[in-house]
Amino acid sequence: MRKLSLAVLICLFVSGAAFAADDAIKIGFYNCLTGQNAFGGQLELEGVQLAMEEFPEALGKKIELVVVDNKSDKVEAANAVTRLIERDKVSAIIGTYASGLAIAGGEVAEVGRVPVVATSATNPLVTQGKKYTFRACFIDPLQGAGAAAYAYKELGFKKAATLVDVASDYGVGLANFFKQSFIALGGEIVSEVRYQSGDQDFTAQLTEIISKQPDIVLLPAYFAEGAIVLKQAKELGAAFRFMGGDAMDNPEMATLGGDAIEGFLFTGFAYAPDMPNMNAVAKKFTENWYKKYPGKDPNANAALGYDAYLLIINAIKRAGSAEPEKIRDALEQTKDLLTVTGTTTFDADHNPQKDLGILGIRNGKKEFIGTIVP
Amino acid sequence: MSTLPENKNPVRDNAMTVVATALLAAFLWWAEGHLDGYKIRIINLIAINAILGLSLNLIYGMAGMFSLGHAGFMAIGAYVSALLILTPEQKTAMWILDPIAPWLTGIHAPFLVSLLAAGLLAALFGWLVALPVLRLGGDYLGIATLGFSEIIRILITNLTPITNGPLGLKGIPSHTSLWMSYGCLIAALACVARLMRSNFGNVIRAVRDDEIAAKTMGINTYSTRVLAFTMGCFGGGVGGALMGNLITTIDPKMFMITQTYSLLMIIVVGGLGSITGSVVGSILVTTMLEWLRFVENPVTIGSLEIPGIPGMRMVIFSVLLIAVIIFRREGIMGMSEFSWDRLFSYRNRVTRGGGAS
Repeated sequence: MRKLSLAVLICLFVSGAAFAADDAIKIGFYNCLTGQNAFGGQLELEGVQLAMEEFPEALGKKIELVVVDNKSDKVEAANAVTRLIERDKVSAIIGTYASGLAIAGGEVAEVGRVPVVATSATNPLVTQGKKYTFRACFIDPLQGAGAAAYAYKELGFKKAATLVDVASDYGVGLANFFKQSFIALGGEIVSEVRYQSGDQDFTAQLTEIISKQPDIVLLPAYFAEGAIVLKQAKELGAAFRFMGGDAMDNPEMATLGGDAIEGFLFTGFAYAPDMPNMNAVAKKFTENWYKKYPGKDPNANAALGYDAYLLIINAIKRAGSAEPEKIRDALEQTKDLLTVTGTTTFDADHNPQKDLGILGIRNGKKEFIGTIVP
Repeated sequence: MSTLPENKNPVRDNAMTVVATALLAAFLWWAEGHLDGYKIRIINLIAINAILGLSLNLIYGMAGMFSLGHAGFMAIGAYVSALLILTPEQKTAMWILDPIAPWLTGIHAPFLVSLLAAGLLAALFGWLVALPVLRLGGDYLGIATLGFSEIIRILITNLTPITNGPLGLKGIPSHTSLWMSYGCLIAALACVARLMRSNFGNVIRAVRDDEIAAKTMGINTYSTRVLAFTMGCFGGGVGGALMGNLITTIDPKMFMITQTYSLLMIIVVGGLGSITGSVVGSILVTTMLEWLRFVENPVTIGSLEIPGIPGMRMVIFSVLLIAVIIFRREGIMGMSEFSWDRLFSYRNRVTRGGGAS
């Protein structure tokens, strides 16, 4: 028994080490395939794999994807990128979900001089001052500014309040960027109320907000708590509207919130499988997705994984080489590339200038309202 | 009950320790020139995890205080050190949410000073927490320290002018070389080993094994525990600073309860209450998780192609952990320690044909 298991182990190890083909272009992929962010990381991997089926080759060579898990952990993220660069000698890297991990990976890639395209890392620090880090998604300030601009200009709201989870980095960040933009536009923040992840009763906070009479309340929460807040606000007879961020984009919202979520607004990526006026790439992505994964809706993460792959393939083709340095230069020159979540042009900080999607709930269903350029 | 074995042959043992340290130094010197960045990173991580494991072991294994707050002390250390070694230009560029507190911009210190400051501040917080909390015992202590660690994390998320809040810090100038991390590890090992050999070590063990008996002997158990806890926190702060410096970026999310759990895993596998165990546990946990990555690669056996399953290594790793816990409940080292004496007597037993113990 012992000998047998040892033999199997050795077989696995040997074949595992000898699988690589030589004349392929290697692209590394590190993401949260396990751990607390596995939901997003898995979808991004599926998006990348879909894109790979569509574009399996570049420069007449096969593309080989080296997938490494980062366990949603910062130390592992740095290890994973080091491994991709030093051991697998990849030409470019895709990843990851969660900004903290993308920063850790980016620091390693900077030293190893290999370009990385982050998928859904929205913290502005991810690409700040980085020569080798790019990203497929928009950044948090854009989301905050977009929400503020939509509330102030389109809806004509002048008084806003924020209800923020103090333990959530995402929530605190987004609320701050919203506040900055809303005040800059001329609006007023009448109330800033806090709660803590896991709270179930928000009546005290909501009563305080109601007494300040805002027009709109920013709720940068995750869907589970967000739905409870909306429910309790309705019970208290709140007259203001709520607006959330991309973390509220979840089908569970309707189940948890019932009819209290009617009229809820949130910002997100400019892609939804049922959006009108889809661009050609998005159409193709949606069609192929349903073919490959029937019965499962694509979301923004899947789209961003797909986009990250497109960005790299496009750069390899323009560079005419699989050398990391040349791919990096080509990536920087990316201009008006049509991707699922809008056209992509990188600015000086390697952030794509993208439209922000405004979504809302009408008649109990998610609806794509439009896009906004903050 | 275990104690460090008495030194029967001090001259030989000291000489052996010097030789072993020299061998380690030679290995590090060789590794720096010959191994790739990936392996060097793992070797660095082993040392840092060992320091962190050792400091938690001092609190939990040796002094018997079930603490779940280590991630909080690591966070304090990591932030203090990072804020001291970041340059003023980096600081002003990074604080996007709120401007940085003006007094903070100009503060700068060399890395070693920042490490010391990290340890001292973590120890100070540890001491402040210990004063009220160590009146509790058992599970209550665990819950109170867990709460403290969460408070630290939430404070860091929201004290934007000082910590840059949820955005975290990046671009921390990297000073964690093999020499630095192993230097710190050896210093920590020497300190804890000396400490446990001293009378204070006996006192700590007495308090752990039977508090009432210790009290009867006239030991002030409360102040003993406060002191042990504070020293453990010092190690946590230094370890956190080294960890942040190795990956050159930190954010509040990094110091969630899972960080404490992984340290607990290291010391439980290695052996609660064993200095050697902390090192062995760190080597095992750190290298296994990385080494097992190959099981997630796609595999071709003959014509059979098996696609890689992400998360597979965690499954295998968990099975290994369970095996350790089933077959060696007290961890690999138990409470025993490595010593030259034991090594030589073991060798003698083996060469003589073994058997008698």
